[in-house]
Amino acid sequence: MSATLRHAGWVLRGNPITAVAATGVLLLAVLAIFAPWIQPYDPIASNVRNALQPPSAANWAGTDQLGRDILSRLIAATRLDLAIAISAVSISFAAGAVIGSLCGYAGGRMDRVVGRLVDVLMAFPLFVLAMAMVAALGNRVENIIIATAFINLPFYIRFARAEVNVRRDAGWVEAARACGDSHLSVVLRFLLPNILPAMAVQISLNLGWAILNAAGLSFLGLGVTAPTPEWGIMVAEGARFITSGQWWLVAFPGFTLMLAVLCFNLLGDGLRDILDPRMRT
Amino acid sequence: MEFNRRQGLQGLLGVAAGGTLGAATAGREAAAQTRAETLRQVMGGVINSLDPTTPGGTRENFGLAMNIYDRLASFGRKPGEGGMTFDMDNIRGELAERIDRSPDGLTLTFHIRQGATWHDGTPVTAADVKWSLDRAVSARSLAPPQLSSGSLTSPEQFKVVGERQVEVKLPRPDRLALGNLCIPFAMMINSTLAKRHATADDPWAMNWLKENTAAGGAYIVETNRPGQQVVLRRNDAWKNGEGGTPPFFRRVILQTVPEASTRASLVERGDADLAIDLAASDVPAIESRGRVKVVSIPQTNAFQTIVFNTQMAPFDNPKVRQALAAALPYEAMFQAAQFGRGRILFGARWAEVPDAAFPRTMPLNLDIDRAKALLAEAGHPNGFATTFTFANSMTAFAEPMAALIKESLARIGVEVTVQKMPDAQISTMVVERRLPFFTDIGSAWLPAPDYFMRTYFTGTHRWNYSGWNNPEVAALTQTARFETDPAKYEAAVKRMINLVAENVPMAMVWQANQDAVMAKDISGYTYWFHRQADFRDLKRG
Amino acid sequence: MRALRAVGRRVGRRLVASAPALLGVVVFTFLLMRVLPGDPAVFFASGPNAGQEEIDELRRVLGLDRPIPVQLAHYLYDVGTGNLGRSLTTGQPVLRDLTERLPASLELTVTALILALGLALPLGILAALRPGSLLDHGVRLVCSLGVCVPTFVSGLLLIYVFYVVLGIAPDPTGRLDIFAASPPDITGFLLVDFLLVGDMEGWRAAAAQLVLPAATMALFTLAPLARMTRASMLAVLGSDFVRTAKSIGLGRGRVVLVYALRNALLPVITITGIVFSTMLGANVLVEKVFSWPGVGSYALDALLGSDYAPVQGFVLLMASAFVIVNLVIDTLYGIADPRVSIE
Repeated sequence: MSATLRHAGWVLRGNPITAVAATGVLLLAVLAIFAPWIQPYDPIASNVRNALQPPSAANWAGTDQLGRDILSRLIAATRLDLAIAISAVSISFAAGAVIGSLCGYAGGRMDRVVGRLVDVLMAFPLFVLAMAMVAALGNRVENIIIATAFINLPFYIRFARAEVNVRRDAGWVEAARACGDSHLSVVLRFLLPNILPAMAVQISLNLGWAILNAAGLSFLGLGVTAPTPEWGIMVAEGARFITSGQWWLVAFPGFTLMLAVLCFNLLGDGLRDILDPRMRT
Repeated sequence: MEFNRRQGLQGLLGVAAGGTLGAATAGREAAAQTRAETLRQVMGGVINSLDPTTPGGTRENFGLAMNIYDRLASFGRKPGEGGMTFDMDNIRGELAERIDRSPDGLTLTFHIRQGATWHDGTPVTAADVKWSLDRAVSARSLAPPQLSSGSLTSPEQFKVVGERQVEVKLPRPDRLALGNLCIPFAMMINSTLAKRHATADDPWAMNWLKENTAAGGAYIVETNRPGQQVVLRRNDAWKNGEGGTPPFFRRVILQTVPEASTRASLVERGDADLAIDLAASDVPAIESRGRVKVVSIPQTNAFQTIVFNTQMAPFDNPKVRQALAAALPYEAMFQAAQFGRGRILFGARWAEVPDAAFPRTMPLNLDIDRAKALLAEAGHPNGFATTFTFANSMTAFAEPMAALIKESLARIGVEVTVQKMPDAQISTMVVERRLPFFTDIGSAWLPAPDYFMRTYFTGTHRWNYSGWNNPEVAALTQTARFETDPAKYEAAVKRMINLVAENVPMAMVWQANQDAVMAKDISGYTYWFHRQADFRDLKRG
Repeated sequence: MRALRAVGRRVGRRLVASAPALLGVVVFTFLLMRVLPGDPAVFFASGPNAGQEEIDELRRVLGLDRPIPVQLAHYLYDVGTGNLGRSLTTGQPVLRDLTERLPASLELTVTALILALGLALPLGILAALRPGSLLDHGVRLVCSLGVCVPTFVSGLLLIYVFYVVLGIAPDPTGRLDIFAASPPDITGFLLVDFLLVGDMEGWRAAAAQLVLPAATMALFTLAPLARMTRASMLAVLGSDFVRTAKSIGLGRGRVVLVYALRNALLPVITITGIVFSTMLGANVLVEKVFSWPGVGSYALDALLGSDYAPVQGFVLLMASAFVIVNLVIDTLYGIADPRVSIE
């Protein structure tokens, strides 16, 4: 354990960007947790007389069409966006890891059937699939999470399957079986924990991607519904004002969204280096 | 002299390049000349059929059809608030040079204009007119239900009575019969050409006319890329317009550009000449920069409405509807969603309606105390929870409306969940009466007060948004429709308006402006009932 | 000759093997579209006065009045006979719409990929030559920046800067200036068609329209390509044969560009293939922003309008593209390295 930490420290020192990214993610988490206490105004309360005001001392990031404080909305949105990204990725991670490792361990007919289903999913234009799912289920937060999780699923299944397949006949697995552990318990107690680190890298990369995905859906009108503050929908709404000169409507949400995704992506890269020196690229 | 192979090649290339360059320059000069006589309109929607009666057709099809096809008659134009608008009370002949109306109002006789021809040069005959009218009431298309609103229902009503004369018989003196012959669905078709492409399964050539035309109107389709663009060429032989002069523009390009902000930039930079569907949020900025002309005309035959489903609890209780109507933040919504651009329909203070105009300002006012009292009377002193729905395509203005409604209704204890839906889904939900509370836009081609009432407050079709079923209103719409005595008509309409004000099946809130943004040198823009541009009105300089 | 036959057999086997996946895609999309709560008949019959009769009539015409298994059987039969149905949004047969629009999407995607590769290869190589250096981190940061801006934002921003403010880009309305004459339809790829008829001015006009949307897409694809180039170069540079080449005194440039790069390209080709088939289906947003008449924006409009046939056709097309691209890559691999089996 201490070796891993030492390695992490070494990587972070040699890799200042990862350190910055990790700090950024930490900051986002703090914002999300303490949002109600940090935001200067109520992110939902409108004040039409104060609409479309440029950044000022009172409203650091300006106000939107309904006179709501953009900074407060950005802070409040952190919670929802992180929740969407984290739950979507956790669902696909959990489901993918279990299904994939069972298939990789058992092989045989089940593996072939699941493999075929994964092939079908992989052949889909995934963004369009997400759009169709949200359109079919209705654009509520939980459905956006389900759609995002669903289109990620095949990658996790494949990944887990391949990792387990390699380890299936390893000595320590044989040993566990010899000690009388059932197949299920071998998978859950021995194989799954063993492949987790490798999959963790994917998680961080996917978190950023899930936020982008939600933003894209919002732009097409298939995202979270107003007046809930969410980065993607703020960017999409703000983009409508790009020609009319109210730049702060798109600039601040766009910048926040970009920074968040950037932090997750860079952290993912860094994690790869820390967890698996062999995969260091 | 030593011949250098590379030099030789360069020479050859030079000649080739010069050749194409010369041709291209000549082409550019010609292009500059025709550019002034070309109108380029950019729009968000698509044209999916050249026949406006095609089921599944878009609104853009209607405007196009007005320019390609003629009708027997046409509404006039009049100056109105903000600019020229159509004039339903002043109908002139279009393909008909004269229209005779019998004293009992039961017979209309149309005399086809002398020398009128189709695009292929063949003369327009009475048989063509009869076939076109027969098609409009018989084909399985969008046309028959619309024409029935003018008592035009059967081919037996249309008779050829001379070489260039056609008679239309009416069962009752319907005030909307002639108006219905001015709309896109009543287009006149070259029947000889169309019949050549009719089949046993498709006697009215519905399939062929989707992608082809058999017309005689002011413009001829040059190219048509469905969903992308249509290019029109002027029909120089056309003399059926106001004053008999052909339209100004030789070419018209109608192009689909989905992004509203891109459309705005195109017109502002002078690359496009006209856009009528920009986001309301863009228009004030465009106006203030002053690079283009903005013609803002209230859409007097359309309205934005906030609907209560009268067939679903708790909105089946008129008290609940009155309470919510008293808690809607009208002025704030109008400013935030519409930037104050349009004509308001709220804020009146009368108890009895003073005149019979409709749509009109109604006694809808924000009064939270009254709303609370009404809600308590209705048995919901602590409020209730409901869902407010709007369509995806309305996001730009409905999203701010929804946010304000949610906020305001929370003050009387009504908890609102906002829901956004793709347009196709919302239309299904409305028809099946599954939405409790939503916003929509209504419009009428023939904006007579009784027609509005009949369409939007009676019946089981989608347009009775609130599913309201008031026997008195249903009966009054039927009598008003055929009422020839103006005083009695007015009394009936007033009674209906009072009933709507009292029961609030829906709160009609405003008539948004149509903001037509165009190059500075374009003039003549007219707001039409079909809410599309008519290129025959426009000119440059 | 034997090798060629072997490749042919592999390709054939691979195609047969992918048939069930394609069938699965078709059936799954069909069912998904039927779950959409919107009823296309209601939506499209929404004329000013359409009543229940018109809705029922449209349902009958569309075949929506039949039970779903029957509809599915009809649809599968139609697909088998090459009929993908008719779009309600454009009023055209879906097959015709797709064949008309596919070249637009392909041209855009290919251009974007070429642009991205042109940047990603040098950047990746440079980063691999000095791993851990400031340059390496810089490349990583730049590539990561590209992938974290939503394409609709970068697209709108590029339009705003280069068209609205600077006025150097042509108007962002599709593949060709509306007043320019389009070339005869030979391949459907404007750049190719203009070259074939020798119209250089037209070629430049078409290329100018391509720049902004292609750049928007390229920004987004830069990261995976550069990352893979770097990784693969690092692996190769550390391998024995490169060390041998260096030790016998070959020039550094020669070692890097000839020996190392050639060996490092295979994984890059793979990732390029994957990126290509993903982008082809995922450039919906870019097409929307630039009014690009491609298959993505076509499918999007259809989806929002509950217009079943085009969405189903689009998904089938994308799935087929996915299969074909994978096949091509695997075949290339098999030829390049006989040890690789494509089973």
